[in-house]
Amino acid sequence: MAYPSYFGPRAAASPYWNPYFETLPRAELDRLHLRRLQQLVRYAWTYSPFYRARLEAAGVGPDAIRSLDDYKQRMPIIDKTDFLVLQEERPPYGQTGAVPEEWIAHHCETSGTTGVPLRIPLTLYDTERYGEGWCYGWWAVGIRPGDSFYFAFNWGLFAGFWSAYWAVRRFGGKVVSGGGQTSEGHIRMIRRLRPTVLLATPTYVLYLAEVARGMGIDPASLGVRFIYTAGEPGPNAVPAMREQMERAWGARANELLGVAELHAYAPGCPTGEGVHVDESGTFAWVRDPATGREVAEGEVGETIVTSYTNLAQPLLNYRTHDLVRPYYACRCGRTGLFYQGVVLGRTDFMVCVRGTNVYQAAVENVLGRVAGLSSHYELVLTRERGLDQMTVRAEPQPEVPAAEYAALAARTARAIQEALKVRLAVTLVPPGTLPRYELKTRRIIDQRPKEVRYALERQ
Amino acid sequence: MNREQVLACIAQARALIRAVQAETDNPAIAQCLRFADQNLHWAQWNLGAVEALLPELEPAQQGPGW
Repeated sequence: MAYPSYFGPRAAASPYWNPYFETLPRAELDRLHLRRLQQLVRYAWTYSPFYRARLEAAGVGPDAIRSLDDYKQRMPIIDKTDFLVLQEERPPYGQTGAVPEEWIAHHCETSGTTGVPLRIPLTLYDTERYGEGWCYGWWAVGIRPGDSFYFAFNWGLFAGFWSAYWAVRRFGGKVVSGGGQTSEGHIRMIRRLRPTVLLATPTYVLYLAEVARGMGIDPASLGVRFIYTAGEPGPNAVPAMREQMERAWGARANELLGVAELHAYAPGCPTGEGVHVDESGTFAWVRDPATGREVAEGEVGETIVTSYTNLAQPLLNYRTHDLVRPYYACRCGRTGLFYQGVVLGRTDFMVCVRGTNVYQAAVENVLGRVAGLSSHYELVLTRERGLDQMTVRAEPQPEVPAAEYAALAARTARAIQEALKVRLAVTLVPPGTLPRYELKTRRIIDQRPKEVRYALERQ
Repeated sequence: MNREQVLACIAQARALIRAVQAETDNPAIAQCLRFADQNLHWAQWNLGAVEALLPELEPAQQGPGW
């Protein structure tokens, strides 16, 4: 007798992981958000000493939120620094926790790329809901139960790929853990076990391809059909990176935008042109970081996110410092908020060079189009005579002779000026000299004086 | 089955689970029921049907002040 199929025929044929939520009209989504945010404010007021104090200080009672505008404007904006200070005062979670210790099922931490790691407590139910964010993106690009997911990731405390692990269990896929492997070990394991989905940071996906070639193995021969990245700008943010990834591995690439302490909150889009917010798990809006006012559709601003999926340490109106360009419609048919180009930069790393705002992703997109450049680069920020300066340090492809570096650097600078209307200094360094990272690649080297940098960097 | 019918069935299932949860003296079964109820709560949430954030808090949330 045949074993039953994983889903019934109607669910299996669905183009959406959750057809109800992914096609809900904006007005209905907004009505639902308002009711849920009202509950969340009451929850935070009741169970989190931190939020009760913040709300009282702001004159906002537990029943004060009457509209989404009320929520956006009256609910205090929370920043990571607030939590870091409280956690340091009274470890492990200070007054930021909202559940008794016995409810905490998993302790994670942020990667600490901005300084001190933030501690993230999660209940079991939180992990289920957090993981589900990924499922929306995977289903949208054609990944299905029966696919096997290779984690090129060494686990530890970092929430990012733990959430993908929770997601694979939720989704119905097979987990293949690459924990503890060297890069060569990952390639050997992928060759032996033939996983169909590769999960890693985007730069590590490209580095693994290099490693495979160094071992005499064509990465496209390894059977990987899908690449899903997170943690830094990936294929939906940087088309040139998509091209390199898909060509190298012979696989379809997509990416998820998440914030470790919040949620895997924007799980991709089948168009590959951006990411949709998972509005079942989060409420997000976009504001001008200077004025605090919501930006219009299509304008760049900072995304402020509230998570419904982390109730052990609630995060309401939380600053992500990610600059995005929001839209309320997408040609894929999903109605969830869409961030075209994913993250365009960071409020803390957006630099104004001679009157022009320069975003990391914009520079990266130009670099990806310059023939002869590799995907390895750094942006060095300095402050000269009171003005921000940005220098590009990049590696050429190994086959470019050193004698051609100067011409290639000049060509790169011209391409940046033509595309971004700003002149940046470009320095080329020999292949293999910039550091490689397994987790988050450090693209920005901020050498500006401490007082002009983001608060966490100053600590 | 349309959304309303699905939600009605889920609500019935949760009521049955809760009745057993209240009576069981078996931790293994209590945990199974907790998982089942959480998943059904999440199903309701994913169909836009509930605002209560946690199944365990639903009675409190329906009372005064909620």
